[in-house]
Amino acid sequence: MGFLWTGTWILVLVVHSSPIQAFPKPEGSQDKLVHNRELSAERPLNEQIAEAESDKIKNIYSPENKPGESNYSFVDNLNLLKAITEKEKIEKERQSVRNSPYDNKLNMEDVDSTKNRRLIDDYDSTKSGLDHKFQDDPDGLHQLDGTPLTAEDIVQKIATRIYEENDRGVFDKIVSKLLNLGLITESQAHTLEDEVAEVLQKLISKEANSYEEKPNKPTSKTESQSGKIPEKVIPMAAIQDGFANGENDETVSNTLTLTNGLERRTKTYSEDNFEELQYFPNFYALLKSIDSEKEAKEKETLITIMKTLIDFVKMMVKYGTISPEEGVSYLENLDETIALQTKNKLEKNVTDNKSKLFSAPSMKSHEETDSTKEEAAKMEKEYGTLKDSTKDDNPRGKTDEPKGKTEAYLEAIRKNIEWLKKHNTRGNKEDYDLSKMKDFINQQTEAYVEKGILDKEEADAIKRIYSSL
Amino acid sequence: MRRRRRLQQEDGISFEYHRYPELREALVSVWLQCTAISRIYTVGRSFEGRELLVIELSDNPGVHEPGEPEFKYIGNMHGNEAVGRELLIFLAQYLCNEYQKGNETIVKLIHNTRIHIMPSLNPDGFEKAASQPGELKDWFVGRSNAQGIDLNRNFPDLDRIVYINEKEGGPNNHLLKNLKKIVDQNAKLAPETKAVIHWIMDIPFVLSANLHGGDLVANYPYDETRSGSAHEYSSCPDDAIFQSLARAYSSFNPSMSDPNRPPCRKNDDDSSFVDGTTNGAAWYSVPGGMQDFNYLSSNCFEITMELSCEKFPPEETLKTYWEDNKNSLISYLEQVHRGVKGFVRDLQGKPIANATISVEGIDHDVTSAKDGDYWRLLVPGNYKLTASAPGYLAITKKVAVPYSPAVGVDFELESFSERKEEEKEELMEWWKMMSETLNF
Repeated sequence: MGFLWTGTWILVLVVHSSPIQAFPKPEGSQDKLVHNRELSAERPLNEQIAEAESDKIKNIYSPENKPGESNYSFVDNLNLLKAITEKEKIEKERQSVRNSPYDNKLNMEDVDSTKNRRLIDDYDSTKSGLDHKFQDDPDGLHQLDGTPLTAEDIVQKIATRIYEENDRGVFDKIVSKLLNLGLITESQAHTLEDEVAEVLQKLISKEANSYEEKPNKPTSKTESQSGKIPEKVIPMAAIQDGFANGENDETVSNTLTLTNGLERRTKTYSEDNFEELQYFPNFYALLKSIDSEKEAKEKETLITIMKTLIDFVKMMVKYGTISPEEGVSYLENLDETIALQTKNKLEKNVTDNKSKLFSAPSMKSHEETDSTKEEAAKMEKEYGTLKDSTKDDNPRGKTDEPKGKTEAYLEAIRKNIEWLKKHNTRGNKEDYDLSKMKDFINQQTEAYVEKGILDKEEADAIKRIYSSL
Repeated sequence: MRRRRRLQQEDGISFEYHRYPELREALVSVWLQCTAISRIYTVGRSFEGRELLVIELSDNPGVHEPGEPEFKYIGNMHGNEAVGRELLIFLAQYLCNEYQKGNETIVKLIHNTRIHIMPSLNPDGFEKAASQPGELKDWFVGRSNAQGIDLNRNFPDLDRIVYINEKEGGPNNHLLKNLKKIVDQNAKLAPETKAVIHWIMDIPFVLSANLHGGDLVANYPYDETRSGSAHEYSSCPDDAIFQSLARAYSSFNPSMSDPNRPPCRKNDDDSSFVDGTTNGAAWYSVPGGMQDFNYLSSNCFEITMELSCEKFPPEETLKTYWEDNKNSLISYLEQVHRGVKGFVRDLQGKPIANATISVEGIDHDVTSAKDGDYWRLLVPGNYKLTASAPGYLAITKKVAVPYSPAVGVDFELESFSERKEEEKEELMEWWKMMSETLNF
């Protein structure tokens, strides 16, 4: 530094003493700098630097609200302390604020989203469906007036079933189950068999229903064996106990023993392995309606799904997540919903022959298959989805919002694709690549779902639309 | 009240009120239709947890292209002032449609600007307002956010600080710098307010408009009177350009710029209105507003548009409001491409962020963004622009500015150390020469 100062002095002296000799400048364009020095760098460089640095110091310590505060560092510390204590306070507040808006958000979504609206409506329609079941379904486990069956009724029903289906296997299944559950002994099973045979014979010969007075013995014995079973609700108890005992292993072995019993059958259905099928008359009917070989795979899938569902419910009961009654009622509802869905599907196929832009009916059945497949994952989600798709199929017509939204999205996507195709025929950007577009859309929709910009449902719908292109 | 959706009313724009789900759907539809030029994001959540949604339109969505100015429209910060919200939804759809039709003005805009549209800053308030039965909506219900906070009085009052600085000396821009931490910890700020402040800090917005209702005028800074009185014209340093910007909006809106238009209500005092524009404080004093906050905490110039005498008019009028405002909205967008713009770099060509660009005669500086890019809105005239940065030597340039487009002016700043080195070298050279000549 000292050298420079000395140098400047000498420079000044030299310049004064020999004015003719111009000061040699090193190379490089200096014009701009000289010009600017006139306007902005008039004072010596070091002075300018010094001033700038003192400005910097001033700025760092300048008080925030009160000019003229003398002890700057003290103010800084004070503010920092204040800030820290306030920050802790605010953090707590923010926590609660964060939590409650989130909760509120969930509530808001309940109020806002059309999906939840559908659930509410669905719930209502299912309720009415249950009533519907009691009236129409002779194979159910309740009488017309809703009271549970007596043992005699059961025998009668079994016999009727066998008669109607012309299949002994029904009885075998039921008896095996009861045996395995320890509800009846072998001898009781034989007795039961006799009774059923008797009734069957009567049916066959007379083609008329009559109630037998036999089954007091097995009934009372059944009751004495497992004291928990209420008097009237034997089949229900059977199921309940089955769930409550949690003898899934037995069920598995049960399946195996039944397989052996298969040899007695004349017809072999894959659903014969499915011994609980008896409790799902509507599902069974649905399966029966799928006869063609083409849909055999679908049939298998449906059975697998049902099995999985039932196992899942059993598991839940076993671990106490739900009560046996809840499990039973869930499965009953499931069966009921299947009935409704089947009925509506039939109706819809008759009435709806329009083909829309992306063939909406097939899209819907695609949705149904999708949702049916997804059922295997979670209980509640499946239940909800089932209810949703039931609502979708409602011939009354959905409220226009979800329909309008999907259509709007479809329309928007169509315009996008159109524009992309047109735009790229001019060869401006890279070639229009549908698969790249799909990837991008998948990525973006996922990101949007995470950020709360899209519902999961909407994102899936969008992805579906793109994948169908 | 749920209504049957009217599809395809004029190019996919349905002129009806959008509640929160419909708002979201509308934006998603625009995105789906124009995925190449749009992106939806959220700046945060309202008090009740609704996303503060923004749709961005640009040729490279999600990316700040160096030199490309950023623009924002914000609507419905008063939840019951509904026209702005709807107009912004229509605008998003319109920009997408027109882009795909090849409308040159729109294509150019979208290629050269990054447009951010937030239809509603107060979705909670809107739901409250919209839930009122019948068509006649109360003047106040739904105005404030869910906490009862009037968002346009909730921003830190930087006007007062700048008025003090005018008298006693102090910065004339970016007054928030030292207060940033305190903003985050301020419990009095609504979540919506905080979200916007962060948004403003994050993105180097250049021009912005804040859409309101209840009157028909384009209102510019300052909003708060200097003296504290109820009305008093309080001009900001950029009064000239603000008047020009306000006119750029109002002149395309036939009712706003109609000189013979009677006031919205019989006893309204619109004496401050000139050509459909007004200085905020001359009309009535507003402390803590978002408009002035933009100007004094960032580089963004913001104007408040009052779009309708009735705050929440009947749905059937929405189409007319769109027709009246469509051209204004586009014209105002184009204003971002005015004045001077360019880059501030060092001698090695590296960008200098946060350099100060000052204009001789205008006591308000702007700063360069992360890529060293800056934009300085100015009315036509001759100016001297100075770029400076700590540790660098300032440079001043003379510029002649037309009405539009923006003039490009770049600065290459030399750092102090570089200059010191140079001068040292100079002296060394001289010493060498002297010693050789004089033989010592």
